[in-house]
Amino acid sequence: MVIDLMGTGVLSAEEERAQANALFDSIGDGAIATDEFGKIKRINPAALAMLGYKEKEVLGKWFPTAIVNVDETGAPLSLIDRPITKAFLLGTTISDRNFFLRKDGTRFPVAVTVSPIIHNDRPIGAIEVFRDISVEMEIDQMKSEFISLASHQLRTPLSAVKTYTHMLMEGYMGDVTPEQKRSLSTIVSAANRMNELISTLLNITRIESGNIAVTPKSVNLIKLCEEAIREVRRSAEEKEIALSFKYTSAASAKTDALIAKEILNNLVSNAIKYTPARGSVTIKLSKRAKEYIISVHDTGFGIPEEARDKIFTKFFRAANVVKRETSGTGLGLYLVKGLAEQLGGTIWFDSEENQGSTFYFSLPN
Amino acid sequence: MAKILVVEDDKDLNNAYTLILKHEGHEVTTTFNGEEALTAIKNFEPDLILLDLLMPIMGGLEFLQNYELKQKHPNVKVLIFTNMENSPEVNEAYKLGAHRCIIKSWTAPQNLSRVINDALNDKAGEARPQAA
Repeated sequence: MVIDLMGTGVLSAEEERAQANALFDSIGDGAIATDEFGKIKRINPAALAMLGYKEKEVLGKWFPTAIVNVDETGAPLSLIDRPITKAFLLGTTISDRNFFLRKDGTRFPVAVTVSPIIHNDRPIGAIEVFRDISVEMEIDQMKSEFISLASHQLRTPLSAVKTYTHMLMEGYMGDVTPEQKRSLSTIVSAANRMNELISTLLNITRIESGNIAVTPKSVNLIKLCEEAIREVRRSAEEKEIALSFKYTSAASAKTDALIAKEILNNLVSNAIKYTPARGSVTIKLSKRAKEYIISVHDTGFGIPEEARDKIFTKFFRAANVVKRETSGTGLGLYLVKGLAEQLGGTIWFDSEENQGSTFYFSLPN
Repeated sequence: MAKILVVEDDKDLNNAYTLILKHEGHEVTTTFNGEEALTAIKNFEPDLILLDLLMPIMGGLEFLQNYELKQKHPNVKVLIFTNMENSPEVNEAYKLGAHRCIIKSWTAPQNLSRVINDALNDKAGEARPQAA
């Protein structure tokens, strides 16, 4: 005799099994249970409905071949990349997003969680629960398109604000006093900040939707660094930050100049922003076997140890800089990482709190 | 001084560009979409076209296809004036023969004059002029 977990009284072993089966079958998401060898022992109606199989077609079959996982290109996942394999090997719960192939060969995106079933300290099987995320992905796509269009529409009036302000400053509409000119200059600065924010949002949207255009051309990296420095020189001077650039030899890479510049602008602007007055920022360009490394070193606030693994995540700002510098969205480094990946490069850093940071950006040669 | 066709649907920007270009001494014809531009060029053979991409009725890419820039007007410089940075539309415009792409919201009037003069003198420059 066993205790009835459903609270309907004391049940026989047979009744308990029936109730467990009913529980499994009632799960709204797809659920597949395997034995320790990966053979399918149970599959619930939701899984069968999503996959288009009948129970007898998959029961007892080896999960990895009976139900095919593919990536976004339609290529089958290797056995080692299947969440169920990872769960077995690591003995822990694995969550992932990929695609399942239906019986008719069409695919659909799924969010998957696989847990090994551990009994007496050894895995006796695994249970994989998954749900169709087609609608979520469509909503994500719509969101990206909306942000892209909204950002574009936001820029049009901003362009008019900037153009007319410049026209006033430059005397197209008559003479302006120095005081008026300063006020107009403030309007342009504010418009530029808004423009940068819109650029960041647009680029993030494009990266996330896989819609960013990369146009590789031969780019003079020394010139690129010099331009980035020229653009931030004024803000460095305002804080009396010494800005320097070191390089060893001529450097030309086949890459997208605009994207590479965006990365560099972000890193150098960050370095200036998070370095106290009278500090220094040094940009170095060096060559390794098959890549160029651009590093941006500052003598700034540094990144606290507890923040280091989150520094490239969206909207994250380390506690030590939030206190000192209120402006900032936490999007810059997230964007930089995404952009670097678009160029086939990587981003990493060294940092000591209150000593400074060095961000490295590699570009394939 | 050059003959310039402005194709920009935003009235404020269109007025501003026209004012700046006339101030520089250029002869300017103003249109608000690709269809109007195609009509205008029947009587106005421009040296340079300042072209927005996203416009109602007929956008910049469709205008370039109909105008047959590469095939029929290889000497006319087309400057794409858009806010669609890093977008596939900009790449498409280059394929259709556009000379340069300029991001509107980053461009100050003195840069507008400079990029136009560079284009007229056939100088390749930076793809994203900075605001002053």
